[in-house]
Amino acid sequence: MSQARFDDLIHAPTRLGIVSLLAAAEWADFKFIRDELGLSDSSLSKQLATLEAAGYIDIRKSFAGKRPRTSATLTEQGRTAFLMHVEALQQIIGRSSASLARPSPRP
Amino acid sequence: MREYAQPDEAATALTEIRRRQAGLINATAVPFWYWLVAAAAMIAIGVAADTRRGAVLAVVIPCVVAVVAILTAAMIFGVPGRARPRSRDLLGPRGALAIVGYVWLIVALTLGTAFGLRSAGSPAAATIGTVVGGVVLIVSGPMLSRWLRRTMLRNRAGTGR
Repeated sequence: MSQARFDDLIHAPTRLGIVSLLAAAEWADFKFIRDELGLSDSSLSKQLATLEAAGYIDIRKSFAGKRPRTSATLTEQGRTAFLMHVEALQQIIGRSSASLARPSPRP
Repeated sequence: MREYAQPDEAATALTEIRRRQAGLINATAVPFWYWLVAAAAMIAIGVAADTRRGAVLAVVIPCVVAVVAILTAAMIFGVPGRARPRSRDLLGPRGALAIVGYVWLIVALTLGTAFGLRSAGSPAAATIGTVVGGVVLIVSGPMLSRWLRRTMLRNRAGTGR
């Protein structure tokens, strides 16, 4: 089980979508991420740059034939942060469920 | 641990995580056409083998291998595969064993049928053997794909509890 740590950088909705997707992938193409999340090119570029600056993803540029191709992959640091964030979310829900299940004290 | 989210927000985030990962797993699933192509390739080799002509085999086998290799690469790296799932983590050892076992099963069934028929004197042993293997591939391949997909969905992040 991963250690729990809530990560504000990952928790932002768009970045949560990107990191979740990349956590299940060896790599994902820029266009694939854009289409899956319904983002504009500029919005996705901005979010990827933020994640890259934090050391959470690597961005690779290559060529498929003559076409430039950009892909992103989650770094080990990013994967660890993501798993810790998931654990934190699960703990929040777990504690909430436990407190709801606990019988209230009698007057 | 610092806590920045309310339980309902955490639940929404976990749902989003599962949804995004399911999107990737579904988008990179083995398409049905792949099983058809693989079966057709097997049968082409079987038919060529039954001609017992070296020249036919010398043309058919490299062509079939090239077509299957190109289509496999297209499936993995091409249009449907604009992302590659972390199969090792998502499938786990059971998934990997299932794929290897499935391949061996198809090969054993095809070769077993073909050699059995040949020893019984059938003139179209390889064709029948590969047709049997091909039909089983078309029927069971998509079932294997669905099982692998379910396994990957079970193993994605945020499904541990």
